[in-house]
Amino acid sequence: MIRLQGVSKRYKGASTHAVRSLDLEVKPGEIFGFLGPNGAGKTTTIKMIVGLLKPDQGRVLVNGHDVNAEAVAAKQSMGFVPDKPDLYPRLTGMEYLNLIGDVYGIDGATRRRRLQHYLEMFQLTEAAGDLIQSYSRGMQQKLALTGALLHAPALFILDEPMVGLDPKSSHLFKEIMRDHVAKGNTVFFSTHVLEVAEQLCHRVGIINQGELIACGTMDELRKSPGRAGSSLEKLFLELTDEGGSDEK
Amino acid sequence: MRNRVWSLFLALLNVNYGWSAAKYYYLKKRQRVWEPIVIAASIGPVLVMMLWFSWVMTEQLFMAGLSFGQPHLPLVIGTLMVAVVGLFFGFFYVLSSFYFSNDLPTLVPLPLRSWEILVAKLGVILTGQYVLGAFVLVPMIIRYGLLARGGIPYVVIALTVFLVLPVIPLVIASILAVLLMRFVNLSRFKDRLTLIGGILLLVIVFGSTYWMQENVGTDDPSVLIERVLSQADGLIYSIGRVFPPSVWSAQALGYATNATGWLNLFYLVLASVVGLVVLYLLGEKVFLRGVLAGFEGSRGRRKHKQVEVQGESNSAFLTLVHTERKLFVRDPNFALNGLVGYVLFPVMLLIPLFGASLEGNPFERLDLGGLHPFLVVGGIALFFTLMIAMSMIPSTTFSREGRYLWIIRGLPLSIEQIMATRVVAAQMVNTIGCLLGLIPVSYLFGWRIWEVVLGTVFGIILSSTVAYLLVLLDLSRPMLDWVNPVKAVKSNLNAIFGLLGTSILGLLLGFIFYLNVQSQTLWLIPFELLLISLLLGSGGWYLGRQVAWKLWSKI
Repeated sequence: MIRLQGVSKRYKGASTHAVRSLDLEVKPGEIFGFLGPNGAGKTTTIKMIVGLLKPDQGRVLVNGHDVNAEAVAAKQSMGFVPDKPDLYPRLTGMEYLNLIGDVYGIDGATRRRRLQHYLEMFQLTEAAGDLIQSYSRGMQQKLALTGALLHAPALFILDEPMVGLDPKSSHLFKEIMRDHVAKGNTVFFSTHVLEVAEQLCHRVGIINQGELIACGTMDELRKSPGRAGSSLEKLFLELTDEGGSDEK
Repeated sequence: MRNRVWSLFLALLNVNYGWSAAKYYYLKKRQRVWEPIVIAASIGPVLVMMLWFSWVMTEQLFMAGLSFGQPHLPLVIGTLMVAVVGLFFGFFYVLSSFYFSNDLPTLVPLPLRSWEILVAKLGVILTGQYVLGAFVLVPMIIRYGLLARGGIPYVVIALTVFLVLPVIPLVIASILAVLLMRFVNLSRFKDRLTLIGGILLLVIVFGSTYWMQENVGTDDPSVLIERVLSQADGLIYSIGRVFPPSVWSAQALGYATNATGWLNLFYLVLASVVGLVVLYLLGEKVFLRGVLAGFEGSRGRRKHKQVEVQGESNSAFLTLVHTERKLFVRDPNFALNGLVGYVLFPVMLLIPLFGASLEGNPFERLDLGGLHPFLVVGGIALFFTLMIAMSMIPSTTFSREGRYLWIIRGLPLSIEQIMATRVVAAQMVNTIGCLLGLIPVSYLFGWRIWEVVLGTVFGIILSSTVAYLLVLLDLSRPMLDWVNPVKAVKSNLNAIFGLLGTSILGLLLGFIFYLNVQSQTLWLIPFELLLISLLLGSGGWYLGRQVAWKLWSKI
């Protein structure tokens, strides 16, 4: 579903690469957790996958489409929620969702069914007619999630999705991810919360200083020499050595 | 230790004009050093032209006024223009700065009195008015002083007028804004009410002045002319009735050597002081309540507006057009700055009409009512084109997205689709805005319907091609890094470059029309408009095909 081939990115004026020669493949039907310390290159990688940043080198393929050469086709199969989902404050929640629905060409009946489902699930039905600027951070997060799920994307990409969610919403959200992959779709998300990754992910990748330093299932990672029985936290700390700089 | 209001004023001035940011980028980091050079090279000639225009106009109007014993004509017209522009733009700047700026949550918790915030913010806006005044008022005052041989008293009065005149319109604008926001902020439709209320208030202010003039005066032009000519400075009073402080300023400057001049200066200073006192009292009583009501209005509302979950899907194109239009019109920071021209233009055009029936009125030479039909058509097309640049809608379309740009960039849309929706949205607002001013003006000047319709059609075609180029300009260097939305429009170089480029196009078209008049080939105007639209449209389309996608993926 996602294939990164030798992807590198260096920001203008920066002395080091934010991401260096990254190769990664995420298969359909899996929840993939992308872990790393602050400034490791997680957000940069995600931005390159969703087409918000152009890699200096390498290719990013989503559902078989090159994100840069066939951007529209690639984006058609994605739903994305950034770490800080800033939504147009002067649209109402419903206007925002209809914008997304119209752009993805979701027919009326399907749209109504999905909107009812997600708005009720996230308890946003009553607030849907209010301007987004009146929403709390958590409500904006839930609205962004609803927007990203509205077209039932084959690939659901989330940057730090648990930030800003209350425990109930967080639990609900984990269920949504599981349901989503159960239907054959893929979830790719970055997180700092290692327990979430441990509970949810079929596979995890650990990135540090722009390089992928480990990738596999929890069992595969634990089987690596000298790490038998380690928790993800211990593995993470050992692998990353708490290095890193500020996130770009 | 510095006085805290002074300190606040300097800090706000710094933020508003970006001095520290400029120092950081241009001097310390040595980045974007070309920017000030380009700005100076672009704005410099315009400023020189303004100085020259003001200088020559003063001379011309002085001579014209002298022929019927009223040499102070340039003073009253110049001060009136400065005051009216100050009142209009000031009102919208004041609203943006007082109530919609993002520094309010920082300033309100500080141990500052309500009036202190108000005065510091007013000072920042006033500084901008002085800069504008330096290029309009100063050359006028100097030229008049040289022509009328004013002595030391003239210099003293001139300095005082320069400093005091911009205060009055801004104080009036501030009082109107403070009162408006006190009530508007109580409503949940405050964005819409701010816009409508703001325009309405200004219309009422000018409407009532006009009504007074009409009712106090007479409908019989011969009686009016007799009265005007039999009375010293009758024309000055007639024009200046729109805004009395401009008469006081003109009289103060015109009679600097005798008591009349000083008495008028006294009126001017007194009016400013009274205005400031009223503003101070309102500032203490009402300002902060309006600001706090604004904070409350946007959060924590208990009663939700129930909406139906929509089952109808619409065309993505139209939805994007309407989203762009809504996002512009609903944000007072954008709308107040972008839409002000649509209100300002017809009013500015109508001001000279206040003295239109008077003999020797220099504005009669314009004879807008007797223009050749194709000149009307060309003029209207030009108006549409200039207004679309002035609205800043196309030239700041991506910049205004700021940190929200990820939404549109994440959607499965091609840049060509996005650009097309931006042009259509800009044109939608432009057409409505232009027609609102054009219809009454056309009626007053007696232009025929077909002229207006044809001009509108050509205007839409020509301005759409310009809008496309302006959208492309903003795509090439969007200003996305802003905290205060006003910055995305007011401090955006794309808006300035767009306006300059469109003005050059306007001058070129004006020159072509002039040649048409000289060679009596006015019938060519529609063809010329089509040809220029075709050239700009195909050039823009080709350029877009070549660079738009690269620019879009580079953001």
